[in-house]
Amino acid sequence: MRAVFVAVFLMVILAVANSQNEGYRQDPGWRAPTEAAARPNPLAKRPDAAAGGAKLFKRNCVECHGENGTGLANKHSANLRLDVVQKQSDGTLFWKITNGNTDRGMPSFSRLPELQRWQLVLYLRNLNSADIPSKAKAK
Amino acid sequence: MCAQESPYFVTYDHHLEEPGNLELETYTTSGIPRAGQSAYVAPYMEIEYGVTARWTTELYLEGQGTIGDSAVFTGWRLENRFRILKREHFINPVLYFEYERTSEATRIQKEIVGGGPDVTSPNADLQPSKNHELEGKLILSSTLHDWNIAGNFIAEKNLSQAEGFEFGYAFGVARSLATLASAAQCRFCRENFLVGMELYGGLGSTVDGFSVHNTAHYAAPVASWQVSENGSLHFSSSFALTHEGSPVLLRFGYSYEFRGFSSRIAQLFGGKH
Repeated sequence: MRAVFVAVFLMVILAVANSQNEGYRQDPGWRAPTEAAARPNPLAKRPDAAAGGAKLFKRNCVECHGENGTGLANKHSANLRLDVVQKQSDGTLFWKITNGNTDRGMPSFSRLPELQRWQLVLYLRNLNSADIPSKAKAK
Repeated sequence: MCAQESPYFVTYDHHLEEPGNLELETYTTSGIPRAGQSAYVAPYMEIEYGVTARWTTELYLEGQGTIGDSAVFTGWRLENRFRILKREHFINPVLYFEYERTSEATRIQKEIVGGGPDVTSPNADLQPSKNHELEGKLILSSTLHDWNIAGNFIAEKNLSQAEGFEFGYAFGVARSLATLASAAQCRFCRENFLVGMELYGGLGSTVDGFSVHNTAHYAAPVASWQVSENGSLHFSSSFALTHEGSPVLLRFGYSYEFRGFSSRIAQLFGGKH
C-alpha cells in the first residue's frame, strides 16, 4: 500500500514539473490553413458582441495572457496587442483559439460554441483601441 | 476548464483540463432501489490536474453507504487521459488508462462494464473482496454545430479475479443553451448552462460473452451550471433500460477549479513560474 502512495506522490510531482512552460516563442509551425485563415468574422458587424467577448476573455484567457492581453512574462505567453498577433486575419485567430497549440501549452477552446470563439476574436481586435465600452474590458 | 465544464458524468469527451490547473470535484451517485434492494449513496471525490494541454491525470477517492447496512470506503482510482492529435479534427481520439484498487462494494458507477455492479448483496459480503483492476477507454469525440458528440468504448481487466475482460460503452451529446455570450456578469445567463443526454451500459465479458443482455443500461439527461467563475454544479438522472442494477441513479456534483495551480505551487518554493 505504501508503495502505491509513493507512486502516486511521485506522479503528482512529475506532473507538476512537466507543466512548466519552457518559454513563449512564436511557433512558425502554428499556421492556419488557407481556407480557415480566409474565414470572415460573422460578428464583424456586431461590435456590441465584443462585450461578451470580454467576459469570455476574462474566464478563459486572463490566466495566461494577462488582464489586458499583454501576456505574462512568467508564463511566456503571447502579447496579444503586438502587431505579430493583430496583423493575423480574423480567421487565423479563430483557428488558433479553436485548435490551440497543445505542444506549446495553448489548449484548444473548441468546447466554446463557435460564436463565442468569434466573440473572443472581436474582443482581441479591440484590445488596442480606447473605445472599448467599460463593461467590455476584462477586469 | 473554466470554459464550461462538460455536463457528462460517465462519458468523456476530448476536452482535457487546462495545463497547470487543478480541479477538485465532489460527486454522489444515489441508487433508487428495486424490490429487494436497498437505497444507497456513493460519494466520490476527484482531484484532476492538467499536466500538459494533452495530458490530464486524476485521482479518485470513493465510498458508499447503504440504508440499513453500513458505510464503507470502497477504494481509489488513478486515471490518465492522453489526447492523441495536436489539432481539432472531425473525430478527436483520446486514450484513457486507469488503475483502480476498489472493493466489490463500489457503487459510484463511473462506468458500467460486464454485468454491472452488485447492488443487492450486503456490504459485509462485498467489502472484503478488494480488486486490482486496469481499465482502458477509447474516447472519440466531435464538435458538430456547437454540439459535442462523444463515444467511449471501455475494456476492464480485473487482475485479482478470473473475470476475463469486461466491456462497456458510453455515448453522450451536449451543448450550451446559448451560443453567444451576453455582456452581463450573470449567474443565470443561458450560456452558463450545458444540457445533454448520456447513454451507457455494459457489453458483457470474454467469460460470459460479448452481449448487451443481462447487464445494466441507462439513459440519462444531464445538465451543468457554471455558478461562478470557478465553480460548476452538475445534475443527472439515469433511468434503467433493463432490469439489471438500480432502476434510477441520481447524480449530483460540484467542481471547483484552481487556475494556475502549478504556478502558485512553484512560487511557494521560490520558483519564478
